[in-house]
Amino acid sequence: MYHELTVWSRGIIMDKEARDVSSCIAAAARALGLYADNVSDYVDDPDRTNCLVRRYARFGDSPIVDRFVYENPRPDWVVLVEETIVKAVNFLRGTPDGTGVLVVNSAREPEYLLKFLPDSMKAKLAKFVVVDAVGLADQRGSSPWMFVRDLGELAYDRMSTEGAEERLAIGMGIAAPLIGALTAATGVLPLDGVAEQVADQDAMFRGVAHHRVIEFARPAPAPATHL
Amino acid sequence: MSVRGTRIPPHLQLPIAGVTPPPTEKEGQRLFPTGNFRFFRPVYKDKTPPCNNACPTGEQIQKYLDFVKHERYLDGYLTIMEDNPMPSVTGRVCYHPCETACNRAEHDEPIGIRSVERFLGDYGLNLPEEPVKDTLPPLNGTTIAIVGSGPAGLAAAYHLRRLGYGSVIFEALDKPGGMLRAGIPHWHLPEEILDAEIAKLLSLGGIEIRTGTRAGQDISWDELRDYPAAFLAVGQDVGRRLPVEGIQSRGVGGGLEFLREAGMGRPVKVGREVLVIGGGNTASDAARSAIRLGEGAATIVSLESEEELLIVAEDLEQAREEGVLFSPGTSLVRVVTQDEHVTGAVLCDARLARDDDGAVRPELIPGTEREVICDTILVAIGQVQQLDWLPDHLSDRSGIITADEHGRVEGNILVGGDVMRGPSMVVDALGDGKRAARDIDRLLTAQALTPEPEVTIMPYEGLNSAYFRHAPRIDAPLSPAAERRRSQKVEVTLAYSEEQAVAEADRCMSCGVCNGCDNCYIVCPDVSVLRDARENGHYSIRTTYCKGCLVCVQECPTGCLEKVPEMDFDAPEDVTRMETAFAPYDGAHAEQSAFTKQLIEDTIAEYDAARRQPVPQDSPPPNGRPPNGHAQNVKPQNLRNEDHDRERP
Repeated sequence: MYHELTVWSRGIIMDKEARDVSSCIAAAARALGLYADNVSDYVDDPDRTNCLVRRYARFGDSPIVDRFVYENPRPDWVVLVEETIVKAVNFLRGTPDGTGVLVVNSAREPEYLLKFLPDSMKAKLAKFVVVDAVGLADQRGSSPWMFVRDLGELAYDRMSTEGAEERLAIGMGIAAPLIGALTAATGVLPLDGVAEQVADQDAMFRGVAHHRVIEFARPAPAPATHL
Repeated sequence: MSVRGTRIPPHLQLPIAGVTPPPTEKEGQRLFPTGNFRFFRPVYKDKTPPCNNACPTGEQIQKYLDFVKHERYLDGYLTIMEDNPMPSVTGRVCYHPCETACNRAEHDEPIGIRSVERFLGDYGLNLPEEPVKDTLPPLNGTTIAIVGSGPAGLAAAYHLRRLGYGSVIFEALDKPGGMLRAGIPHWHLPEEILDAEIAKLLSLGGIEIRTGTRAGQDISWDELRDYPAAFLAVGQDVGRRLPVEGIQSRGVGGGLEFLREAGMGRPVKVGREVLVIGGGNTASDAARSAIRLGEGAATIVSLESEEELLIVAEDLEQAREEGVLFSPGTSLVRVVTQDEHVTGAVLCDARLARDDDGAVRPELIPGTEREVICDTILVAIGQVQQLDWLPDHLSDRSGIITADEHGRVEGNILVGGDVMRGPSMVVDALGDGKRAARDIDRLLTAQALTPEPEVTIMPYEGLNSAYFRHAPRIDAPLSPAAERRRSQKVEVTLAYSEEQAVAEADRCMSCGVCNGCDNCYIVCPDVSVLRDARENGHYSIRTTYCKGCLVCVQECPTGCLEKVPEMDFDAPEDVTRMETAFAPYDGAHAEQSAFTKQLIEDTIAEYDAARRQPVPQDSPPPNGRPPNGHAQNVKPQNLRNEDHDRERP
């Protein structure tokens, strides 16, 4: 069993959410005795607001050999923290056909979002999950488009620690429902095991309860090769 | 911002130590279409300025103010002529609902739109030939009947001619113009201007005015119905009667009738001590004409208190300057006569009250009666119309012709102006005439009559007011009050000079409409506003690079740019998908580093091949250590960890 999680987000304003998703999944996997790596910084420097940013986590039941390859070459779990990324990049590049689980934070209908994916990308999906994380998260600031933080808290992320130290708890805000929806839809990691790593467990379980899944009927794929 | 890429000297063009050469500018643009940063897209969408919306005849005011700003007077004149055939008239007499709605009022002072319109109207009248004439289609042979040659009827005839229809206008008086001549005094609208505007209309051809033809008398309802279509625009030119004792005496008359006689150029007798009964604009015009013709004094006696007076503010101020006296909150109780001629009036303090059905009822305050001397009384307490020539079911008691929301009476007969609305402005009548012409054309070509489309009006808050310098309104110059009193022919309000017209039009903020100011083009940090032409718009957004920073939306002074969620654009051409996302594995980036790419791929292939070897029976525990500390199985040659991995044998 081996899964690669790539979380796509946008710089400055939403990259903490991406780090939280990858950190919580990787930490939960490690706490359960699996081998896990979390690359919640490096590669994509979120130096500009709105720029695309990727965070990586991977876990499996055998040791991960190449720990210095930061990027996930064949991500089978892909989380989009902001809905317009659906139109923006080929985030399923490298995903083997029929294995992808795509989780998108959006208030729109899954059918509408699927219109933006070309057939080559749709062929890679096993499940398409849409969760309205902004609606389900605890509103902590004045504007939902700041992803419920104010500018003061935003500054905590820019401490140049490159993720070595998180000044705020992990798994708050938008990240919590995303983690909940991802864990529930994939069904690989146990919910309470993941919940232990998440600061805002109520929001996480709201994400577990309220998300829409579109399954793509496919023949069972070959198991992923270990990196 | 550099336009040309950096030139790499040949000896640096090969990858050295796995370093890929920097891309040229051309290559770089292909690599990173940063349009995918965007979650709001700026969209150019013109909204309706409040002035255009407030104008009852739908003049495109923002558009002609923009033309005047750029000294394009002919274009400005033609713009007005699309909606209003007589700008020299409205430019003098309109009560300008546009200026009342003007957003500039919230910035400093509203634009003097009426005076700019007058400037353009007079410019048009002074042209050697009417430019609209060249744009008219040939006459199609259909003639429409129009009753009344006031502004509604004249506008209907004009707009019908623009659609190819001829018309015959039946006018009861012996000169055309309706209220424009027989209600608005010459000092407000000079007769030669009115005559020039009417002559301009007649010069377009296809329009016939038959004066001395009264509906019901010289032409009947049935004859009107014989025409393919008809437009009733008879106005309301009958003054309301004031039922007090002595009202039939000589020297007592109607304000409207007085203005009509004066307007038609007939001799009028008016004394030196005039009382005008009424609190509206007719009373004001009558009083001001009376002091000019009678060379004496005039007092406006109104039930309305000073705050309740219906006279528009600028006329009120001008009347006061000219010496008109006011007696607000006063009622005429009875007329004092001698030898059946009025010599005085008994007045009483009063309040304006209304009946349950809205009729005015004076509430006299007892004990305040007093007698004043006067030799003329003019009554201006409202207007009605004689409609006994129409079937009963088509009109009500107060002289209004009943119609549906399209102004349709029955069949192909429409109505407009005061006789449909009650006493209103000239510009209301112009709008009714324009819409009637359009609707008559629809009826005759079997199209449906539709309601007016919904519009979005741009409020002041939608503008970026920091871009508009404060500048006071240029008031239209007035003749001195002493001059004005001397004669009916001295025009009260004078014209803007050309410089004043341009300066005043320059204050227009073009609310909600792109006016080609180039602000978005200048401020875009991504150079992603493309400009086709400088004229009023023609900008587009380069969506491959626009990052949705929305600085252009913030900095648009007119508010015509708005932000739309990027997810709302689902057409295939609206999806700019970036393939590379700065990874070395494939995409355009890797095309430059073919060597590096090949190196990496060879490595992966070798690694994968090595790991696919079968796993032996007693497989090592998960941590990779064999039970007895040394290799029992063939371990793959691992190029990556060969030198670094101390844990594995």
